[in-house]
Amino acid sequence: MSWQILSGTLEQGLMYAVMVVGVYLTFRVLNYADLSVDGSFTLGAAIAATLIVSGYNPWLATGAAFAGGVMAGIFTGVLHTKFKITPLLSGILTMTALYSINLRVMGKANISLLNTRTIFTDFTKLPFLEDYSVMVLSLVTVIIIGFFVYRFLLTEVGLALRATGDNELMIQSQGVNIEIMKIMGLAISNGLVAFAGSYVAQNQQFADAGMGIGMIIAGLASVIIGEVLIGTSSIGRTVAAVIFGGVMYRVIIALVLQMGLKPTDLKMVTAFIVIIALVSPGIKNKVFSLRDRAGAVKGESHADNP
Amino acid sequence: MLTIRNITRIFNKGTINEKIALNGVSLELAKGDFVTVIGSNGAGKSTLLNAVAGNFSVDAGEIFIEGTNVTKLPQHKRAEFISRVFQDPMLGTAASMTIEENMVMARRRGHHRRLRKAITSKDRTVLMQELKKLGLGLEARLTNRVSLLSGGQRQALTLLMATLQTPKLLLLDEHTAALDPKTADKVLELTRSVAEASHLTTFMVTHNLEHALNIGNRTIMMHEGRIILDISGDERAGMTIEGLLEMFGKASGKHLVNDKMLLA
Ligand SMILES: Nc1ncnc2c1ncn2[C@@H]1O[C@H](COP(=O)(O)OP(=O)(O)OP(=O)(O)O)[C@@H](O)[C@H]1O
Ligand SMILES: [Mg+2]
Repeated sequence: MSWQILSGTLEQGLMYAVMVVGVYLTFRVLNYADLSVDGSFTLGAAIAATLIVSGYNPWLATGAAFAGGVMAGIFTGVLHTKFKITPLLSGILTMTALYSINLRVMGKANISLLNTRTIFTDFTKLPFLEDYSVMVLSLVTVIIIGFFVYRFLLTEVGLALRATGDNELMIQSQGVNIEIMKIMGLAISNGLVAFAGSYVAQNQQFADAGMGIGMIIAGLASVIIGEVLIGTSSIGRTVAAVIFGGVMYRVIIALVLQMGLKPTDLKMVTAFIVIIALVSPGIKNKVFSLRDRAGAVKGESHADNP
Repeated sequence: MLTIRNITRIFNKGTINEKIALNGVSLELAKGDFVTVIGSNGAGKSTLLNAVAGNFSVDAGEIFIEGTNVTKLPQHKRAEFISRVFQDPMLGTAASMTIEENMVMARRRGHHRRLRKAITSKDRTVLMQELKKLGLGLEARLTNRVSLLSGGQRQALTLLMATLQTPKLLLLDEHTAALDPKTADKVLELTRSVAEASHLTTFMVTHNLEHALNIGNRTIMMHEGRIILDISGDERAGMTIEGLLEMFGKASGKHLVNDKMLLA
């Protein structure tokens, strides 16, 4: 792999890692398979691109993308908690609605950001950073976000959020409103996903209505890869693991492309990564040990847990 | 302290599976009362505890805790008053989290959760001292995940968590039933001592008639959603297991050859 391809891969990986942290918050921390992600990733890109071409400050546009994702997460959360719609369906509903909303936001199927000011072009002006602006900015961003998420998960609120994903009855009997916790977790998660979407759009210099398709599976694959390779013995380690997983996932994808597969084959490759992770007993044990225990709590059968 | 006024709870109302689990139950508990609750399977004991804790709303009647009408309050709002230990040792703790994390969550039961580091080194010292009381060596395992503990250890931890912040009301639903006899005795002894030490008003459901008579100061018997016996003081002091079974037979209109039905 050439340096150019490798550095491009790492840059992308670091941006997508922010999305993976978001997926980790719902999928692992809340134990909630949230499919809104596909829509909120595009939403972030759409909001940022639209604002930027309308002449707004790109940093402001990136912040607005985060806020848009938060709103999408709240919407999913309200569907689930207030209207008792299942997690899967709530996510699918949001994702579907967002497809139209994203087109509305953009006014067309894609927006080009060629030769416009973005958060990355701002950085190239700094000395020594011309070639590495994307890498440095993405790295700094993911480190800051990883650090905040890590610290947050160890606060009193963070503990309550984690317990909501582990044992609802227990944390309710400790006086926590689990509906609020779920809405909050979904809001932060989708906010991060949309934030990542705005980075990706500014880096590739276009936003496209279909750019979020399959994002949830890419996120899951990344979470699983990170957990298997790095481990989950503590919260700090797990957050580092999912970030690493996000980068590794992009590296794997780049390798697969080098092997001669077409970019259009990538979604299939991703699906296979997740399938392999789910069916191979060794990995499954490692990754799902926590989930199965939670399942046992709820009285589900765990006969398939060797 | 706790006033239950004529509460009724009907499951699957209006279907062929309709079940009146609580049928106009009234009960008055004084502060510091330790009430043991007995009754055959399906008598409504768990339903009574769940109604008080707020797992569901009642179809009729009212519940007051220290003068506050909690009938309409959701479960998480009643947590300010109530601590619980469940029959299933898995239910009382968050398995994927550490012992210390579970404890600090319980310490803020019913309080606002802040965006503040949950555990400081000062907290650790306090938590260790609390864990030492259990005599299970858990004080050396603060950062172990609870999933690594045995059922008995988890139940003891849950009981300790229930009292870290003194509750107005402690609800125990067959909390020793899933434990081996030795561990059960230990957890029961612990229950007795914490209830006594903090003068807790306690509800304890049990199928062990001996425990029902030996622990606490009052015993109620339930049958088909009603309280059919309520004894305390001298009447209770002079009561035997045989006496209880006879009372059950009289009150329920059923003749029991042995205590199987109550113990089942
Ligand atoms: N969620 C529910 N839905 C429908 N029926 C229920 C529900 N919970 C309890 N019941 C029914 O209400 C009745 C009382 O149940 P409850 O669990 O209170 O009994 P219990 O006295 O605790 O019995 P056990 O000693 O077996 O624990 C039973 O007939 C039970 O089947
Ligand atoms: Mg019961």
